[in-house]
Amino acid sequence: MLILKTLVRGGEMHGFEIAEAIRQHSEDVLQVEEGSLYPALQRMLMKGWLTGEWSKTGEGRRARYYQATPEGRRRLESELESYYRVARAIAQVLVAE
Amino acid sequence: MRDLSRRLKYFRRRDEAAHELDEEMRLHMELRAQQFEERGTTAEEAGFAARRQFGNRAAIEIAASEVWGWGWWERLAQDVRYAARSLGKTPGFAALAVATLAVGLGMNTAVFSIVNAVMLRSLPYPEPERLISLWEESPREARRNLTSSGTGLGAAPSRGRTTVAPANLMDYRKDTTAFEGLAGVDGSQMNLTGKGAPERLPGESVTANYFRVLGVGPQLGRTFTEAEDREGGDPVIVLSHRFWQRRLGGDTSILGQTVTMDSRAYRVIGVMPAGFEPVTQFQLTVPVEYFVPAAYSKELLSHHGDHEIGVVGRLKPGVTLRAAQAELDGVSAALAHQYPDSNRGLTAAMAPARDDIVRSVSDSLRALLAASGLIVLITCVNVANLLLVRAVARRHETSVRLALGAGRGRVMRAFLTESAMISAAGGAAGVLLGLVLMRVLVAAAPLSIPRLDTVSMDWRVFAVAAGIATATGLVFGLAPAWQSSRARPADSLKAAERRASGRAQSRWRGALTVTEMALSLVLMVGAGLFLKSFMNIIGMELGFRTDHVLAMNVNLPQLRYPTADRRLAFFQELEERVRALPGVQSVAYANRLPLRGGWGTGIQIEGVDSTGSFVPDSQAVSPGYFETLNISLSRGRLLTAEDCKGHPYVAVVNLAFARQYLQGSDPIGRRFRRGPTGMWFSIVGVVNDVRRGGKLKDINPQIYLPAAQTDGYPVRLADLAVRSAGEPRLLVNAIQQQVWAIDKDQPVTAVHTLDELISDSVADQRFQMLLLAVFAGVAVVLAMIGVFGVLSYSVNQRMNELGVRIALGASPAQILRLVMKQAGTLVAAGAAFGLLGSWVLTRFVGHLLFHVQAHDATTYAAAAGALAVVGVAAAMSPAMRGARVDPAVALREQ
Repeated sequence: MLILKTLVRGGEMHGFEIAEAIRQHSEDVLQVEEGSLYPALQRMLMKGWLTGEWSKTGEGRRARYYQATPEGRRRLESELESYYRVARAIAQVLVAE
Repeated sequence: MRDLSRRLKYFRRRDEAAHELDEEMRLHMELRAQQFEERGTTAEEAGFAARRQFGNRAAIEIAASEVWGWGWWERLAQDVRYAARSLGKTPGFAALAVATLAVGLGMNTAVFSIVNAVMLRSLPYPEPERLISLWEESPREARRNLTSSGTGLGAAPSRGRTTVAPANLMDYRKDTTAFEGLAGVDGSQMNLTGKGAPERLPGESVTANYFRVLGVGPQLGRTFTEAEDREGGDPVIVLSHRFWQRRLGGDTSILGQTVTMDSRAYRVIGVMPAGFEPVTQFQLTVPVEYFVPAAYSKELLSHHGDHEIGVVGRLKPGVTLRAAQAELDGVSAALAHQYPDSNRGLTAAMAPARDDIVRSVSDSLRALLAASGLIVLITCVNVANLLLVRAVARRHETSVRLALGAGRGRVMRAFLTESAMISAAGGAAGVLLGLVLMRVLVAAAPLSIPRLDTVSMDWRVFAVAAGIATATGLVFGLAPAWQSSRARPADSLKAAERRASGRAQSRWRGALTVTEMALSLVLMVGAGLFLKSFMNIIGMELGFRTDHVLAMNVNLPQLRYPTADRRLAFFQELEERVRALPGVQSVAYANRLPLRGGWGTGIQIEGVDSTGSFVPDSQAVSPGYFETLNISLSRGRLLTAEDCKGHPYVAVVNLAFARQYLQGSDPIGRRFRRGPTGMWFSIVGVVNDVRRGGKLKDINPQIYLPAAQTDGYPVRLADLAVRSAGEPRLLVNAIQQQVWAIDKDQPVTAVHTLDELISDSVADQRFQMLLLAVFAGVAVVLAMIGVFGVLSYSVNQRMNELGVRIALGASPAQILRLVMKQAGTLVAAGAAFGLLGSWVLTRFVGHLLFHVQAHDATTYAAAAGALAVVGVAAAMSPAMRGARVDPAVALREQ
């Protein structure tokens, strides 16, 4: 979900950029082994939620740039919807005195 | 779907994908390291930090490549390759294991394919599960068991079972609601004339609703109307497809034409489709060719005591057997009340039609299936044994693999893959072998097994074979796999440990061998019992001679030979003519010859209280009968040509008649009659007993009546017997010519020598016995292999010990004794368990045995003795090898 959201927000990105973006947006709260990003990317490629294109970075290095597909965006929306529903429910339980 | 295509794409370029992933991850780490460096760490530290933050790279690569989804398959392929390579290195082992399995599975598959076709496959009618057979049971019958629907209600031939009285059928129809229809059917035989050589054809006389009950309509025309199925209805006939094709050339204009059967013209109204199997067909070896209306006479329909038809019915959808039976019980009770003379104690019983059709053979087929199941078990045990040896031999290799970090599961999987491959190969070979064995079995099986012509391998046979193969692969593969995976690498890596290790394995192998021998012994006991039973049958005295006697049926149609005199005249002339043929020693005629059915009639004996009813076997015989069959006279005189119409009615009886009806007093001079108004017959002679029905049948009281006095009792002469000097079969044509010389339209049928009939009458038993003997033989060979394997292995393992013993002065004889003692222990344990198993299991075949107890001590002892001999024989070679151990060599090996 985080990867998809990042890609929808930021357009084409390669792996490191995605990791950095997630780290920055989460204000360093969410830190996982960065490597685990890659199996996840592979899985989403396989499911058709992402496309990956090789091209050059600003420094002229070869990198795979990922982009969310329409299917990926739909997926994100439904994931977010259910996430918000759960989050709202949790929040309500916590707020209710 | 898209997912799959993407996976396939990845599969093709998975090296490239791995490479790309690698490049991506390297970039990530370099960028991260760069970032650290920019913050002021040294290049080296930055690299470490980047790697730390990234995590376990190898694990990630594996996780990623698993996303591509072929990891499982790749590991399987790897296992298979590995297994194939290691099996290939020991082709002898692989071949032995596969061959053993193939034999076991092949036998089982062949037997199962027969059981499947005969007992499991549905009858060839629409919605066959709703079809039932109905019969009647007389009071003597023991309690029926309604719950055992699987075995059929008449599993063992029951004394009290009779055919149905048509009069009762009408009541069952009228007073029940459970059935869509109940149809009467009876076998029929008629002489076809006017279409080539006269021929006697089997057919069925059926009620009008018969075809509707079975759910099969005609291919051409129509079937019978209710009006045609009434006494005096039009003579109409429905032909089988075969009759239509073979005799009428498939002529489509046949409808409305007539065929002459028993000298009567029948109008053809319909032709049945090609695949149609009439219900009596299952009991016949010749095809049913026609159908005529049953058209029960008014007289028959008013006599509730005339039991003569079979009944097949179709339950309404959703009606259970139990509910239908309850209704029938009600009707039976009402009938018993209404017609106490004929129906007291009589009940209608029924069973699914399929179970009823195979009831005569289902028990013996089940026994054979169980025996073949034992064979499969034995082969499994044997292969498990082989695999254990192999696992021990490969202990070193396994230890290396474990030490190098292979998971226990992975090692087990490697072993299981190997056994699965063996079982797959064994299964495939087994099915092929089964296909051959099935043909052999079908060819060897007695014709009395119904539906044998439909035996083939279908999905069910394949499913069972595949199921067994898979199960065996798992079961016999699991033990060695488990054993190996528990190996402690440190222990078995030490070379010296290799010898002493495997105590657990040898226990396993000992247990397996004992199991194998026990199972073999069960089969040997079974085969022994059936062999003894068969010997008893063969040794049974018939009381008459069957050699050199030819029997045939000359059934004179009622229309052309309406009176007893006409029929007698025909047979007298035929006797004269046949007697004149060269090579003929004597000629006899009768209503029925022994082994060919018969007639029984109730009689009253003068001066004997007749509340107990006397129903002796009753035959009309010509004067030459006793000579032709070699039945010897005990007292009085035999029948002569003088005993004919106009002379006093006389009869000859057998010893059993005197024994059972007259308390052993002399029957000569006594008189009997068939009913209060019948003629009195005087007994003039007593002959020795014969087993009319064959070797399996009891001796019954019998009366022989003069064929020339058939005006005194309702019997039709039909059978001719000829005793010849040479081979009786050679006379068939000449006799046929003599029949045609008298009546060119008269067919001769059912031509058999009495020897053939005797042989056929024990064909079931011979088949069972032979099959079990083969099973037992295979089992014994497998058991021998087992004993041999265990002892050879054990001798190999004990080489050192034996060497030391010899070096210390043990004589070869002592070594021999040592090894043989081990063999003796195995055999004794196997025999003990085997005898126990036999004791439990043979009870189930007790009723299939003839004059042998299921717990026959001699057979048990003989089988156990044979097992001991076999065990010792198998142990001989390893023991000898042990005794010849050269101590120097054996000790140096250490």
